[in-house]
Amino acid sequence: METDPLYEKVSAHLADPPSDPVPAWDPVNQPMIRHWCDAMGDELPIYTDAEAARAAGHPDVVAPPASLQAWTMPGLRTRGFQDGTTRAQAELVDAGYAAVVATNCEQTYHRYLTLGDHLYAVSKLESVSTRKQTALGEGYFLTSVTEYRDQHGELVGEMSFRTLWFKPKERA
Amino acid sequence: MLPDVGAALPELVVPITPTRIVAGAIASRDYQDVHHDVPAARAKGSPDIFMNILTTNGYVGRYVTDWAGPQARIVKIAIRLGVPNYPGDTMTLTGSVIRSEEDGTVEVAVRGANGLGDHVTGTVMLKGLGQ
Repeated sequence: METDPLYEKVSAHLADPPSDPVPAWDPVNQPMIRHWCDAMGDELPIYTDAEAARAAGHPDVVAPPASLQAWTMPGLRTRGFQDGTTRAQAELVDAGYAAVVATNCEQTYHRYLTLGDHLYAVSKLESVSTRKQTALGEGYFLTSVTEYRDQHGELVGEMSFRTLWFKPKERA
Repeated sequence: MLPDVGAALPELVVPITPTRIVAGAIASRDYQDVHHDVPAARAKGSPDIFMNILTTNGYVGRYVTDWAGPQARIVKIAIRLGVPNYPGDTMTLTGSVIRSEEDGTVEVAVRGANGLGDHVTGTVMLKGLGQ
């Protein structure tokens, strides 16, 4: 079988330890929830109206489940996770696989997030594909797994996230 | 009332505009240049900016709870992205119930199609329906 030194180098990061915990900038809060709902056109009242949230069995206003990942995203000047995934990404970029698209996202929510929950996340590289030919170009798929916990250490959500790092095809 | 397997969700038509793509990227704090910077997107082989996956996920969640209502709890969203959502296109979300259990567990298959094909396909699992 043909050997692929880049695959060998990148997949070695599967043995890297998980990232240090990345804390959310702020506890789950109404302004960020409202911003999210506005952008997505989501008018479900439990995200902005405490009475509606309580009537649905929640302790207070809750965050849309799909916003889980947003709370610990890096900013313009701050870094996010440093783990096997980010090291693998850097090596792929150095080797010319500099374009990225997300291809799969699987999120499990153990409970709804409510105002005041302060999340932190820990991420780890879970899998590296061999070199693939795709419609976008030649590249490698990286899959990371992330655990989200609240300020008490309770596991509130989990995510598996796959990205393709590729060399863009020359455009005709 | 628990929904029947095979029941269709009302469709949702989402016009894809640069403003909507950028609004979603900022609300999800995703500063990857391909979601707001046209020359940067072109340099990476893309004809234009395109919607980020967090926004797609947000629309999929919203689409299902628009139908399921405030009593439902989303317990899982699993999506796969196909063709990108570029400005000027329209994404039409459709869905149908693929599982409906006595205990209120309901699973919905969702598809978001645009002019290029399927932008997103996936499943959303809910609890708390029919209570």
